Amino acid sequence: MWESDIIPAFEKSHPGIKVEYAPIDTNDYNAAIQSQIDGGTGPDVIMCRPFDVNRSWIDKGYFEPLDGLDAIGSFPESALAAWEGDDGTPYCVPVASVLAGFYYNTAIFDELGLDIPQTQDEFVEVLDAIKEDGTYAPLALGSADGWQLAYNMLYQVGPNAWKGEEGRLGLIDGSKKLTDPEFVEGFEVFDSFKDYLPNGYESISYEDMTQLFTLGQAAILPDGSWQITQVTSTGLDVGVFGAPPAEEGGQRYQQEMADMAFGLNAAGKNKEAATEFVEWLGTSEFQQLYVNKLPGFFSMGSEPVKYDNALAQDFADLKEGAELTSRLALDRLSAGQPPLDDEIWRVAQLMFNSGLSAEEATAELQKGLDSWYTPAP
Amino acid sequence: MIRTPARYRLLAMFVLPALVVYVAFAVYPLLSSVFLSFFESSGQTSAFVGVANYVDLFTNPTTSARFWNALGNNVEFFLIHLLVELPVGLLMAALLTSGRLRRSVGLYRTLLFVPATLSVVIVGFIWRLIINPLWGVVDFPLLGLESTALPTISLMSVWQYIGIPMIFLYTALLAIPDDVIEASRIDGAGAWTAFWRIKFPLIAPQFGLIVILTYIWTFNGFDIVYALNGSAPGPNYSTDILGTFFYRSFFGSSGQVADLDLGATVASVIFLLILVTTAAYFWVVQRRLKSYEL
Repeated sequence: MWESDIIPAFEKSHPGIKVEYAPIDTNDYNAAIQSQIDGGTGPDVIMCRPFDVNRSWIDKGYFEPLDGLDAIGSFPESALAAWEGDDGTPYCVPVASVLAGFYYNTAIFDELGLDIPQTQDEFVEVLDAIKEDGTYAPLALGSADGWQLAYNMLYQVGPNAWKGEEGRLGLIDGSKKLTDPEFVEGFEVFDSFKDYLPNGYESISYEDMTQLFTLGQAAILPDGSWQITQVTSTGLDVGVFGAPPAEEGGQRYQQEMADMAFGLNAAGKNKEAATEFVEWLGTSEFQQLYVNKLPGFFSMGSEPVKYDNALAQDFADLKEGAELTSRLALDRLSAGQPPLDDEIWRVAQLMFNSGLSAEEATAELQKGLDSWYTPAP
Repeated sequence: MIRTPARYRLLAMFVLPALVVYVAFAVYPLLSSVFLSFFESSGQTSAFVGVANYVDLFTNPTTSARFWNALGNNVEFFLIHLLVELPVGLLMAALLTSGRLRRSVGLYRTLLFVPATLSVVIVGFIWRLIINPLWGVVDFPLLGLESTALPTISLMSVWQYIGIPMIFLYTALLAIPDDVIEASRIDGAGAWTAFWRIKFPLIAPQFGLIVILTYIWTFNGFDIVYALNGSAPGPNYSTDILGTFFYRSFFGSSGQVADLDLGATVASVIFLLILVTTAAYFWVVQRRLKSYEL
């Protein structure tokens, strides 16, 4: 996509600059970029990781500060936050975010006469109805991949209890603890879904879940927007809803995770051309092109963007009226040992696999966090 | 006969290229990694801190818990290889050389060795499908429970690499001259006695070497766990071995920031573990194993 559509579009409007695309596998990305830059062979433009990993790269001096750039001005502060240094200096131009939601198979919902749940209790009723019918797995969810439990379940249903950013930022500034009732409640809501998982869920991986859903054997799939193309690949009619609030008409919280941004290598060889490229990434021309080439990724810019893919538009609509919140543990809380995010993957698995309670889980997490984290005064 | 100085020159000519490559790509990185473990770097600066990183690794409750857990898992990983891969490999080698398979020896030899040539990613993928509770043959979450995950992964690895000890021992058994066996048969030894009293003592040095190679190999193990369970191998770190612990420390994981000093420290500890045990093994055991001239 970069090579066939986006880069040609850029090169057409900027004659004289040639962009070379060098993809790296996700799992190896941090390692590869760090060794490339430390070895002096880094690219001119670097894809940034959100929050802590990026902050450590900023500290190491990998990036050129971008304060003066026009592109930076076209994003709201919330979009820039994931890639700023400790003093608030921007280092990357945001490209896209991903959302989390519950995909559902509309045919199964029609067959069983189910409606999209508006409250947490209704959600449980829907799941009960599917379980009782017995033809389909209520939730396509397994616990083999801890990240999946955290990112697509806990960080999706939990924010309704801990009030999204209020809870997340409270943890960071130290005014809240994971053992506070609202967090315990968030973990409890997460735990209540474990009764609706397919048999042998302990070793069902992320790929298995997607497959279970696309084969039409499961009714609901908690997942990220990046899966839009895959879940509809078998021709299923798929809709999406967000985590419902506890009470009818209550404030909804929608997970939006900063996913991709680009920064300039401070030691890059073609800085001028690279600057022009990242400036272009801030334009709505690029954003419109990007989000429609890659359904499931959403523009973070201030200007509205239209989505050609209907499901992507549905996803974008989830943001309406909802308070947006980032994944709980990736900002500052995972920069030490043990990293809170990894710990949450672990205890989420323990809750589902070995019956660890919400109180025990949050107490253990808070203990781990207390062992190294001190909130900035 | 070549005169001595010329001989040394010749010897140097043959050895030097390999030595240069070896020093540049094996010795130097190893030493610099050990070197790195004595420093604390932050940003662009780094300061000498002596053994502080080691103290931290062993006393920090978080990292030391992870380290001992990984070490324990690694011992289990090794023991399963030792107790399953080697005896079964030996049995296979014995069967292949027993003369009972007649013309199909080549076929079996190939079939048993094929998995060793596969990529570990493929092996992991195939087995993951076979034991998948949704569409596989077992209705039990083998990889998902803390109690069964590591043995399952170990056995996958045993399945893959069983061809290696088999081929080693097979060639060693082939090298035993037939007249020795014939002589034993005339003296009244059955197949069982002939194997344990004559053949096995003759291949004991090779067997010992395979034991230590398996040790080195399992303590350097990383790939199958990483391929199946990623860099924070669960559930609850029950499949975390030293290799994945090192990877996570050095390169970071999705949410974990890389810590080069800690990573280098872990690497040095693994290196030491392997070095000391291997040296002790050669000193204590391998020296005493008799080699016979046949």
